[in-house]
Amino acid sequence: MPPSIHPVDLITALRHKHLTPAIVFLTSRRACDEAMEAFDHADAVLPPVRQEAIGAALERVITQYPSIAEHPLIPIVQRIGVAAHHAGHLPSWKIAIEELMRQGHLDAVFATTTLAAGVDFPARTVVITQSSIRKSRDFTDLTIGEVQQIAGRAGRRGKDHVGFAVITPSPYIELNVLTKGLTGQPEAIDSQFTISYPMVLNLLKAHPHEHIQGILAKSFAQFQLNQRAELIERKLDLVQTQLEPFGPRVCTDWITQWQTFDQVRKRHPARHQTHRSESPEIAARLPFLTPGRVVGLTKGRGIVLRQYRSKGQKNSMLTMLRADGAVTECPVTSVREVYDRTYDCAEIPSYPWCSTESFDRLSEQLEDLPPRLPILPILTAPSVEPLPDAVVQSLGDFPCPTCSSRPACHKDFPTASRLRQEQHRHTKSIQALRTSLWHRFQERVDVLQTFGYLTSTAQLTADGEWARLIRIDHSLLITELIRAEAFTGADPSLLAGIMASLAHDDDRPGAFPRISPGLSSLLRQVRKLAESLSPHEDPPLLRADVAALAERWIAEPTLTWIGLCRLTTMAEGDIYRLLARTIEFLSQVQTLKATHPGLADSAAEALALIRRGVLEELP
Amino acid sequence: MTTDELEQLLARQPMALLHRLARGRVHRHFRAGKRRLIELLLQYSSTNRAGLESDLQALLEVRQPRQDPGGRPKHAPPPGTRKQLPAQAPIPAVMEPAISLAGWLEGIGVPAPQPFVPDPWQIEALSAVSETDVVISVPTGSGKTYVAVEAARRAMEDNRTVIYTSPLKALSNTKYTEFSRLFGSDKVGILTGDRQENGQAPLLIMTTEILRNLLYDAASGEIDVRLDTLGLVILDESQYLADPERGVVWEETIIFCPSQARLLLLSASIGNPQDIADWLTSIRPTACRLVRHSKRTVPLRAGYLHPNGKLTPLFRTLGIPYGHPNQLHPEAKRLFLEYEEETLPSGRPRR
Repeated sequence: MPPSIHPVDLITALRHKHLTPAIVFLTSRRACDEAMEAFDHADAVLPPVRQEAIGAALERVITQYPSIAEHPLIPIVQRIGVAAHHAGHLPSWKIAIEELMRQGHLDAVFATTTLAAGVDFPARTVVITQSSIRKSRDFTDLTIGEVQQIAGRAGRRGKDHVGFAVITPSPYIELNVLTKGLTGQPEAIDSQFTISYPMVLNLLKAHPHEHIQGILAKSFAQFQLNQRAELIERKLDLVQTQLEPFGPRVCTDWITQWQTFDQVRKRHPARHQTHRSESPEIAARLPFLTPGRVVGLTKGRGIVLRQYRSKGQKNSMLTMLRADGAVTECPVTSVREVYDRTYDCAEIPSYPWCSTESFDRLSEQLEDLPPRLPILPILTAPSVEPLPDAVVQSLGDFPCPTCSSRPACHKDFPTASRLRQEQHRHTKSIQALRTSLWHRFQERVDVLQTFGYLTSTAQLTADGEWARLIRIDHSLLITELIRAEAFTGADPSLLAGIMASLAHDDDRPGAFPRISPGLSSLLRQVRKLAESLSPHEDPPLLRADVAALAERWIAEPTLTWIGLCRLTTMAEGDIYRLLARTIEFLSQVQTLKATHPGLADSAAEALALIRRGVLEELP
Repeated sequence: MTTDELEQLLARQPMALLHRLARGRVHRHFRAGKRRLIELLLQYSSTNRAGLESDLQALLEVRQPRQDPGGRPKHAPPPGTRKQLPAQAPIPAVMEPAISLAGWLEGIGVPAPQPFVPDPWQIEALSAVSETDVVISVPTGSGKTYVAVEAARRAMEDNRTVIYTSPLKALSNTKYTEFSRLFGSDKVGILTGDRQENGQAPLLIMTTEILRNLLYDAASGEIDVRLDTLGLVILDESQYLADPERGVVWEETIIFCPSQARLLLLSASIGNPQDIADWLTSIRPTACRLVRHSKRTVPLRAGYLHPNGKLTPLFRTLGIPYGHPNQLHPEAKRLFLEYEEETLPSGRPRR
């Protein structure tokens, strides 16, 4: 059986049961593209009337977005009535497919799950082939909310009586994740509040420092923290009622008093001390000298067969397998080195302490040992230090031994001290929950003060005034770059290149052969700065290939979109998104007109150059 | 035939048939009572199931004509359709029978066009949004957009500015086209990170990040005049509040949203919409109304498509058995187990 249904069979089956139009969610972009390829020679063609209808509809979209006229998928879309739709495509292609789907021309769309969260285009059926999705670098199971979001695309209001969610297995499927997702209650959502540098600057610009705590308290994060704090408060109340019978006795704070007394009493040297015959170094070795361990002895090496204590011996003893199959007994003190090497050893309770087969095997293995073996590092536990004299003497100072409530204290101490520890823990966590946002804010303020964006009284400095306008990811790095005058006199194309590498947070591989020396040296500078800022801000990927790509697009106004796509292995949609993000970053730099006119001009120039071809045509 | 089905089938047969079936299979079968005999037969069936089933089938075929003397048309099941037999069997009282594929597929089709009638929850939400902040949490595809459009229309009729935000540029663009068609292109503007059109229009569509930036600018004194006339802020896809990277933007937007503007949060089904509503109540001047329901407008059915092209319902029931993830259709369960056995390396537990 194939690991998953063939796309052509899938579409045929869906058509046969009148389950089209359908959205087929696949694991990856590649899976979508491969599914399309599968239709290359398929005979699941549409009747000519529908083919013409699709052609006409495509025609209309192409007049609006000429860039898709040459799209390689068009023949299949028209012939079979299926299409691929994922983030690797240009937005105009996606819009075209959405339009075709909305008009009811297509039978199926192969899409990645990003679609589920994105655009609003329903179908009669959704086909689910996976139970996990790629989130940052690894795959995680779909949540109930996500499964329902996907299933929610099934059933068009006014066009269908019922919607269908069809699960078809693939190697990436775990059925119970999906059945739980379909039948379950969506998860509760949690606040993801983070405090960013621009947020701090903007807050402090608009509000005095002392009001900030009140503003942070209005966040959903604090609302949820308060909910948790209230839960703990309830627990704390309970603990406090339980603590009531353990109120003040002869001493007000008898729990602490008893605790210190108890500790001191226990550590008093008068108490019996365990006498160990082994020195700490030898004792530390004992747990490692298990059957099968290779050790070095004064003469030659051996494999431990058993460890035992013998009445006449001061030290633990070992039974060793030596060269030529000899079995000898020796004290552990005669072990010179313990090697980082053990062999399997089937133990038996009588001589020679391991089964015959493993005895033979061990003897062979002992012969075959290499001349040098890694030595097992064994840490020696520090010996217990004796109590300082002062404490020992003060034992007499405690009133406890003669106190009237001594029996009661002795009896109640374990319960009382546990309750009091709980009380402390709860109080601490409540305090932490109530103030954590404020502390995180203060941490950011401290960083901004050391970099000179804020004064010691948390007022915005001249630098802070303009830095607050950069409200994008990696804002600290960007403002630091501007302050370091990294872009002074830089070409618009260089600026765009750096912004592109800052903006691009996708690690899908892409290749670009050439990078100009100017950009390369500037990028090196940026990378160095990003590294030095890494304690305060996560460094961006700073990929050279995307930087070079953006640089080329701006430096060469004659470069066509197709030409640009040929330069790299990145998908068209990714390049588009990269440049769109670059535009966003550049527009932020452009807002610094008042303080950095040169830089803003350069950004404006880059923006004008970047918006051409596909990027201009698109909505 | 599963063991359960076989057992039920055997239980319905007279003793004579059971004894004939047991002949040569069960030692001293004539001594056993009915229940014990069925038990012994089932035990035997674990060694030669196919033989037992085919003998049973043959015996049943012989019996069938004699059983129905008149009335119903007599028909011996044609060979090869043995699987249909259990379907003819009376329903065991304990559990309803699993839905058949034909029943599952019933009702596919396009409903007759009918005038749009807003659902009660839509009317409730609309009347609430004129007075206070509203959180709407309904399943995908229930018609949240209708509420947004109507609320925007009413606010614009009162000469108030409306801001509509969505998390993605693509969505903003779709909505821009849609709203321009509805309200006229002079009434609708769009502001996204890389596109700015008709920024003075009464209905502005933007990404949530842009609105957050506008609110920051307004707070720091660079007053945007339009924020004074701002009457309604619609935050679409509010479940993005839980997005690890961007969720904070939604919180900032809600915290800094001017108090005279009404907030309308549209969200897919989430587990704790009441928390969101309580939060809004705690920070906004008026008490927030929560509109939620979990019933889909278009009912959903779940199916299972085997790689060999066989389609079966996924669950025993026609609809989704909410809260009962284990009510799988026996056929789907069998096919999936078969699939797992064939595709997974044997002897190694999954994951």
